[in-house]
Amino acid sequence: MNLLSPRREVGEFKKRYKWMALAAVIAFAALFLRAAHMELVDYDHWQKIATENITKTITLPATRGLLRDTAGRIVATNRPAYNVYVTPQQLDPAKDVLRLAELMGLDPRQKAELVARLAAVPLHRRTHQVEMFRDISRDQLASLEQHEAELRGVDVVAVPVRTYPFGSLAAHAIGYLNEVNAEDLERAPDQGYRAGDTIGRSGIERAWESYVRGRRGVRRVVVDARGQRTDEERNERPRETRREPVPGRDLTLTLDMELMRITERAFRGHPSGGAVVVDVRTGRVRALFSKPSYDLNELAGRLSHERAREIIDNPLRPLIDKTIYESYFPGSTFKPVSALAALGDGILTANSHIECPGYYEYGGRRFRCLQQHGEVDMRQSIVRSCNTFFYDLARQVGMDRLARYARDFGLGERSGIGINTETSGFIPTVSWYQDHYPHGFRGGFTLNEAIGQGNTKVTLMQLAMAYAAIANGGTLYVPQLIESVNAPDGTVIEEFQPRVRRRVNVAREHLTYVVDGLYGVVNDRTGTAYDAHVEGGVPIAGKTGTAQVSGRAARDDEDPRQTWYYNRSHAWFAGFAPAGDPEVVVIVLIEHGGGGGKNAAPIGVQILQEYLGPRYAAEQAATAAAALADPPDAPRAGRARARGGR
Amino acid sequence: MATLAKGLRAHFDWPLFVTVAAIAVVGVTNLYSATSAAGARGDMYIQQIYWLTLGSVVAALVVAIDTRHFERQGFTLYGVGIVLLLLVFLLARTIRGSQRWIPVGSFSLQPSELMKIFLIIALAKYLHNDPKTEGRTLKDLVIPAAILALPMGLVLKQPDLGTGLILAFIFGTIMFLTHLKLRSLFTLVAVFVASAPLTWTYLLKDYQRERFTSFWQQLSGEASKEHILDAGWHAHQSQVAIGSGGFFGKGFMQGTQNQHRFLPDQHSDFPFAVWAEEQGFVGVMLLLGLYLFLVVWGLKIASQAKDRFSAVIAVGVSAMFFWQSAINIAMVMGLLPVVGVTLPLFSYGGSSVLTVMMGVGLLMNVSVRRFSF
Repeated sequence: MNLLSPRREVGEFKKRYKWMALAAVIAFAALFLRAAHMELVDYDHWQKIATENITKTITLPATRGLLRDTAGRIVATNRPAYNVYVTPQQLDPAKDVLRLAELMGLDPRQKAELVARLAAVPLHRRTHQVEMFRDISRDQLASLEQHEAELRGVDVVAVPVRTYPFGSLAAHAIGYLNEVNAEDLERAPDQGYRAGDTIGRSGIERAWESYVRGRRGVRRVVVDARGQRTDEERNERPRETRREPVPGRDLTLTLDMELMRITERAFRGHPSGGAVVVDVRTGRVRALFSKPSYDLNELAGRLSHERAREIIDNPLRPLIDKTIYESYFPGSTFKPVSALAALGDGILTANSHIECPGYYEYGGRRFRCLQQHGEVDMRQSIVRSCNTFFYDLARQVGMDRLARYARDFGLGERSGIGINTETSGFIPTVSWYQDHYPHGFRGGFTLNEAIGQGNTKVTLMQLAMAYAAIANGGTLYVPQLIESVNAPDGTVIEEFQPRVRRRVNVAREHLTYVVDGLYGVVNDRTGTAYDAHVEGGVPIAGKTGTAQVSGRAARDDEDPRQTWYYNRSHAWFAGFAPAGDPEVVVIVLIEHGGGGGKNAAPIGVQILQEYLGPRYAAEQAATAAAALADPPDAPRAGRARARGGR
Repeated sequence: MATLAKGLRAHFDWPLFVTVAAIAVVGVTNLYSATSAAGARGDMYIQQIYWLTLGSVVAALVVAIDTRHFERQGFTLYGVGIVLLLLVFLLARTIRGSQRWIPVGSFSLQPSELMKIFLIIALAKYLHNDPKTEGRTLKDLVIPAAILALPMGLVLKQPDLGTGLILAFIFGTIMFLTHLKLRSLFTLVAVFVASAPLTWTYLLKDYQRERFTSFWQQLSGEASKEHILDAGWHAHQSQVAIGSGGFFGKGFMQGTQNQHRFLPDQHSDFPFAVWAEEQGFVGVMLLLGLYLFLVVWGLKIASQAKDRFSAVIAVGVSAMFFWQSAINIAMVMGLLPVVGVTLPLFSYGGSSVLTVMMGVGLLMNVSVRRFSF
């Protein structure tokens, strides 16, 4: 022990220990206060961040409602599309990206693009999923799934995509979807749309958006710092919650896609036009056809710039709904309205007649007729489409009376179909001419209005509803496109009844008289549509029309054939069938189709024959068979006929 | 040996033993939770128990040896420490940009940890042999400063700012024991303040500077979201863990920040955050109490020491406990920038455990021998 150094005095240090202990206590008191502040005072703040840290909200997309036609055929549905998301940080920029490109079957240019896009992802986004490919093919999906284990950081996510099994058929009525844009989000901030959602852009998809859209669900899952789900069955603090999405409502349309097919077939060889078929007993729209059309699937997907240009620049205007959005001179299809105006106010009678020399002189001008008809009465004038008779009629009836009747039939006002932008067309009056023409109103204007030229403009939809009113005895319906709203399981939630807009103020006998004339148009040898008439088919009544178009001067760089085409008249046919007990009305317009009797009537007749023909023939056969089987005993025969007529 | 055994029985420092044992038990338990998250090394707490066992043996040895032997061999031990620090540069692998560990078999030794003890012993020896009681001037500080400067320079070179600072703080505390003239003190402060910008520009590495700026941004509330995701991630997430612990905590193994891997380095630098999250304010009070008691008790031991060497040893070890626990906890709570300072007996690490246990052994040694003469 004596080897060790002697112990030294410690007195020098004595005073210091207390200071040191005090310093330690103060320091720990500070730590204590800080801990108290964090864990007691600011607890809620930190707790909220901690909860946010481990919760991830996953959106569960709602299934958009299906659209079916009146026979239950699916018109719009959803299919899964597979999108590829990449988390850049988890990917080896050389090896993995190469492998991904290989599995996706990318060509060198696409591969370079992929590398560039990955490199462009900003640093703070590199731990997040970034969308790299949309709607990959089945082969690509299969190859990615097979090699799933090789590629960490590559995820395939299925999202629903709207598809339209009928492609371009009834495209304008059905409508399409695409992604919401900043403008939509700003316009309707409380509607719950988020970037990436789709929204109906046209047609029924747009007008009925709130019904078919449904409501998205939300699922909160617990994740770790890398954003991966932790599946441990421990007592997680914020429990996983789930609010199921509410699927959208299904809609049953009044459209009949089979009839649409018939219509499309009938229009072969005519590049541009439209057709409307409406049930005259209900106002239900069975066909809304506008040509040329576009493939809804193409517009719902990602349209390339070139393709979009192509559609927009097409001179035949495929984006325009020619049944609702465009209005035309009705031409001679307007004559029944003129006739009813004259009859209704007692200005002319069924016996009124006139001598047609091929023209009509009025106010020092000659108004042309198509030919020299000779002596014609009102029925003859309708059947043979004599302008002279209607010029004289117009002179006597006057413009404002014509306008009153036209408006009563719903012409010149929106039909209220409720989809797309509907144009109202135009029915002029004397005061309108006084306001808009430098020399005011002149009597000659009325003459042109009476034959559906001048400034009279109607839409196909309006004309269809007007002819339906003529056919059904004077009831003007609101056109109906939606039959019912259904739950996903098919049960009917809401059913829509036909809506009568008003009773048109015309006498039944006047209607019968005019309808008889319309029957003659198709069935009399002298009728303008007689060539289209089908012997033994469904009896059809109708009216042809040839509407002159505003002249177009030839352009220097234009093909002369094109100039000729655009100066050709529009061809009309408005008809209904069966003539005795009308079911449907058809309106056909062929843009620049030439004469209505020669070009439009055969199409209208073909549509009606193909649509009603088979059923009509079967009913006729059944009635005939019943009459043969039963002895001519009055009460029993009546019963049999009732059965056969069902 | 008979006297030693008798002395131990008679004067065994139970409060010291119980406090250290309590911290160690709580520390291992906490480490178990901290390393239980999926993907973490789950066997760390076992390793830690091995190290604690080995550390206890070392501590027992330290208690058995009379302090005067340490005094005599003081500079030799110091020399060994310096050699080990030099070996680091020859043998160490670079981990996360710095060289701190010497591989020994399947383990690695961190000489900078052991150096803390050797520095304390060397300074104690110097002061023991320099029984000056009148006020010291700057000239008297030259030699002890040199004793500090050599290992500190080597540690900073690794670079290991945290341990370097701890060495400096231990030195400062020990020097505070002695009577320094007021004028000299002011000169020191002035020199320190003047050299701060130079230190910032020339001595600190980029990542170290970044941590300081990040700290100021967070403290002043200017931290942006990008910043939190990047440089401020550690500090932010550890504060979230502590704050969300609340009064009673989320429960053992139930800390979401811990279990869902939002706390990086939860086993080495941030075990306190795990503890605070899972045991809440109650657990924090307990742990702060234990550390404070350990420090104050160490100072009490120093005050009862019979010679200068023992007193300086006890103060040095207490200072080591104080600075490490205070700096680590302050850093985890966002009161100080993030520096690599371990929490005694809470952080995982063999060298750290061994160093702490040596310190505990030294304290016990001084405490047991306060009556022996």
